[in-house]
Amino acid sequence: MNGAGAQARPRATLMPSARRAFSGRQHAFLTATLAALALLAIVAAGTLLPDSRLATDLAARNQAPSLSNPFGTDWLGRDMLTRTAQGLMTSLLLGAAAASFSALLALALGAAAATLGKTVDVAVSWLIDLFLSVPHLVLLILISFAFGGGARGVAIGIVLTHWPTLARVIRAEILALRGSEFIRVSRRLGRSNLHIATGHMLPHVLPQFLVGLVLLFPHAILHEAAVTFLGFGLPPHEPAVGIILAEAMMHLSTGRWWLALLPGLALLVVVRAFDLLGDNVRALLDPKTAHE
Amino acid sequence: MTGWGTRMIAVLTYLASKVFRLATLLIAVCALSFWLMHVSPIDPVQAYVGADMMLVSPEQRAEIAERWGLDKPPGERFLLWTVSLAQGDLGTSMIHRQPVSTVIVERFAASLALMGTAWTLSGVFGFALGVIAARFRGTLTDRAIKWYCLTLASTPAFWLGLLLLMVFAVWLGLLPMGLASPVGVLAEDVTWLDRLRHLVLPALTLSIIGVAPIALHTRQKLIDVLASDYALFARARGESETGIIIRHGLRNVALPALTLQFASFSELFGGAVLAEQVFSYPGIGQATVQAGLHGDVPLLLGAVIFSTLFVFAGNLIADLLYRVVDPRTQAEAPA
Amino acid sequence: MPGNPRSSVSAVIAVLGLVLAVLASGCARADSPSAPTASDERPRDEIVVSLSGEPEEGFDPVTGWGRYGSPLFQSTLLAHNDDLEIVNDLATGYKVSDDGLTWTVTIRDDVRFHDGEPLTAHDVAFTFNTAKESGSVVDLGVMESARAIDDTTVVFMLSEPRSTFVVQLISLGIVPRHAYGPEYARSPLGSGPYRFVEWNQGQQLIVEAYEDYHGGAAEIKRVTFVFMGEDATLAAARAGELDVAAVPASFAGQDIAGMRLVAVPSVDNRGIMFPALPDNGKTTSEGAPIGNNVTYDLAIRRAINLAVDREVLVEGVLEGFGSPAFSVSDGLPWSSPDVVFDDGDPAAAEALLDEAKWIEGADGVREKDGLSARFNLIYPADDLTRQSLALAVADQVRQIGIEMIPVGKSWDEIRMAMHSNAVLFGWGSHDPTEMYNLHHGALAGREWWNPGFYRNPVVDAYMDQALAAIDEEEALELWRKAQWDGVTGISGSADAPWCWLVNLDHCFFVADGLDIGPSRIQPHGHGWPITANITDWRWE
Repeated sequence: MNGAGAQARPRATLMPSARRAFSGRQHAFLTATLAALALLAIVAAGTLLPDSRLATDLAARNQAPSLSNPFGTDWLGRDMLTRTAQGLMTSLLLGAAAASFSALLALALGAAAATLGKTVDVAVSWLIDLFLSVPHLVLLILISFAFGGGARGVAIGIVLTHWPTLARVIRAEILALRGSEFIRVSRRLGRSNLHIATGHMLPHVLPQFLVGLVLLFPHAILHEAAVTFLGFGLPPHEPAVGIILAEAMMHLSTGRWWLALLPGLALLVVVRAFDLLGDNVRALLDPKTAHE
Repeated sequence: MTGWGTRMIAVLTYLASKVFRLATLLIAVCALSFWLMHVSPIDPVQAYVGADMMLVSPEQRAEIAERWGLDKPPGERFLLWTVSLAQGDLGTSMIHRQPVSTVIVERFAASLALMGTAWTLSGVFGFALGVIAARFRGTLTDRAIKWYCLTLASTPAFWLGLLLLMVFAVWLGLLPMGLASPVGVLAEDVTWLDRLRHLVLPALTLSIIGVAPIALHTRQKLIDVLASDYALFARARGESETGIIIRHGLRNVALPALTLQFASFSELFGGAVLAEQVFSYPGIGQATVQAGLHGDVPLLLGAVIFSTLFVFAGNLIADLLYRVVDPRTQAEAPA
Repeated sequence: MPGNPRSSVSAVIAVLGLVLAVLASGCARADSPSAPTASDERPRDEIVVSLSGEPEEGFDPVTGWGRYGSPLFQSTLLAHNDDLEIVNDLATGYKVSDDGLTWTVTIRDDVRFHDGEPLTAHDVAFTFNTAKESGSVVDLGVMESARAIDDTTVVFMLSEPRSTFVVQLISLGIVPRHAYGPEYARSPLGSGPYRFVEWNQGQQLIVEAYEDYHGGAAEIKRVTFVFMGEDATLAAARAGELDVAAVPASFAGQDIAGMRLVAVPSVDNRGIMFPALPDNGKTTSEGAPIGNNVTYDLAIRRAINLAVDREVLVEGVLEGFGSPAFSVSDGLPWSSPDVVFDDGDPAAAEALLDEAKWIEGADGVREKDGLSARFNLIYPADDLTRQSLALAVADQVRQIGIEMIPVGKSWDEIRMAMHSNAVLFGWGSHDPTEMYNLHHGALAGREWWNPGFYRNPVVDAYMDQALAAIDEEEALELWRKAQWDGVTGISGSADAPWCWLVNLDHCFFVADGLDIGPSRIQPHGHGWPITANITDWRWE
């Protein structure tokens, strides 16, 4: 089909559109790679910077950023760059894990709603409405409280607050697919449900799912940082970025600006990187550009 | 006659369905919250007594538990609680030693000033930015605005608050560090100018973040309008781009923008929680956090219910607005 | 025309309405001229004070208000002067019977409560009896009864001799029998130097001088106490909004224009409590595990005491605002000079460990009989100073091959973990009963007393005798023997059930020109002890 169409189009208009689409894809690929590299760099920093830099060094406390301590030191002389990197790692891993589980939950429930009949659909939709009717942060506080604080409570809270939107999208996607041309044709041709599911539905839903998953990460990370900042979540000896910023807040009047500015900036960069990654992966996976 | 009749029935059905939804929603939220608090390992008596609890005897602890009804089985507590809830009694807050309803009303009044200001500002500025971006789409201005909005969407709200605090309150000393009124001043001596000064930074924090979604949404909608047939005809007639926007575009994107604003009460509340924490602003957000940290079960339950109602109200208004918009105001209606 | 003007207009009206609502809520209160906020604009008989310890329970002495110093609204029978000697306040004198069981106190007859009613011995008896029944922090277990013989004489009957009963006479504020009820804590009435005006819980407390105070009316006529976080206090001090601001030691080095730093030595201390029993699988009645095999080893506890460099902690964590601590009661009349030793000596600590057969392993952590010298050091998660101390000490001690792992926990969790883990606690009172409670075998595992299950019968005997002693000097000598009697004791070089770290200085920024008098050694008390001599404060 594609071949016949391409030959029918005059060459003059094919070239410019191909060039545009090509550089569009290239641009998306480049940005996605850069974002991924930035994230890898942070993970590397978090793992490779030696723990010795985390040791208290009371003689070197409260120093502004310098060559030896690019993010400065805190009130115990600990290197803020190492603390931030490790804190980001914790937030990143926690957020990523929680987001992944959330996305899987969304996939399961969204698919169930779209394929298992009206009752299930109504039940899931009602559940989605329920979870969306309480502000995210309030629900996170509630769930964290229910689990007595700690990383577990935060992770479960994030899992339970982020699945609704993605579930809605997946449900809509699958419902649309079910009514589409080639699905109906496949059915009439007698193909089994499993074949339809894996052969036709999955390739269409998977990209949406992956993109949704990646885009869930920044939200999860931001929420994790927020809840930890408020005081729920990890205890202070396992720092996550939220705790680092909460402690920085206790030193604002002392003029030690590097305690708050730099870790927050690093968090912003991480979240933005994920956003870029997700958006550009979506652009790359978009069937319109894929089937040129 | 029959036209009015059917419309009345339609309105009543709509209202009834909404009320039913609210009722089931509240019941579900209450049950869920209550259950979550029940399974919590946090000992509310412990949380209540706090650091002084080095010095409180077991008899005293039992007395406190009894005072707050914590020694009864959960099912019974839930029933008792829903019964008193139906009578308008939300219980007494452990931290504030006052009825929960009083605390919520007081705190919400403070938050209303904050959220209302931020909501309005972010709505107005977000709308303006979105319009400008659409007008100059493709240019540097548009890209700058898009970049700004996308960066804002990745910014932790509480970090932004900390930055504003550092710059304006600590470094420049122009605005106060926090709270809602100046230190050491009797309640009746506080002027509205004082209150405004304390409101500026938290409201600014909330608004700056809130600008992003509305700007991007408005931009997209306006671009769609400007790509419509009507706009094409208008351009063909020689109208300027700005003219088209003013005469035709604005009215078609204003309502979707407003609808979006009302639909984002959930994010607004969440943002308020963070802003109030950074600025020690005594609003409902801060009360919720304190309730969660100190195990103040009645207040936390009350706050959850209240925030649900708040979000529901926003969504209801958004839904109403949407029905008003559709279908009579679609941009393609012939002249 | 496309578009629906009606809906757009109504939308605009909705927005405007909202804006108006916002402004209206802002204008809800007052247009009176703004009250003065800066120190130099304030009338010369008013001050604003920021302390950290807002009492959640309110201002009722019966439930513990004011036991750290002056209760502000109420008066006590006896009091401390600036040299920590015991002087009369409401009392004109007191006698203890020869068997130590009867305490007779005579009081003044010219004292009136803030509402004009006279204060009599009946109010005193009422206060003590109510406090005993209240089951609160105030511990009057040894008192059997308090009885007013006449309007100016009270007789206390004790169940056994107790030299420290005098502390109750110093710290329990007297409440009015005729005006005491469930709401008392939130609007206290007493005979103290200041009367209650308004309390905005979580924000501020306003009090005014009582003109007919029996000790002479205070010069500062109005005091506003504000309660804010440490950082907010610093900011408000900088903005000139505070006249007295309590700050943690780590902020005391800041430069604030118009204010001077007053660092008051205190017995407020921080130290590490070690479980003194081995882990035999036993638990408390609530299921909390007892014992820790590493800290049970005497060599470990002594080595840690030797290795810690307390001066470095004082300099680095407290910015110099403190002093090394070697006992729970440094600098108090009953402290023993023998508890002090040369610390910061890792070589001596390592020698001690080597001799006790703790051999250094591959990862730098010592081992003995298959047991690694590794255990948790728990600190209350919400306290930055304690966290800093825990981290700094852990790093110091790691150098001699012992790994203490700092872990922040809530008080809830600490209660269950304190019998089997080292915990960083803080104590410090003007009452030697504290030493008793922390170290006596009979109180092992009870409430928050002696969580380590430490027991030394020799020490127990000394402390029992000290409590029962009738003569004060005799009591002091016995307390000292319990710390070190030449052979054994609770000091860090003997049994070392604790490793005391530092005594904190209580730091305050005080506005230039405000005289707050000489300061006396303060107990653990969240800022309130500074008000002990508030009646002497004045603007110069």
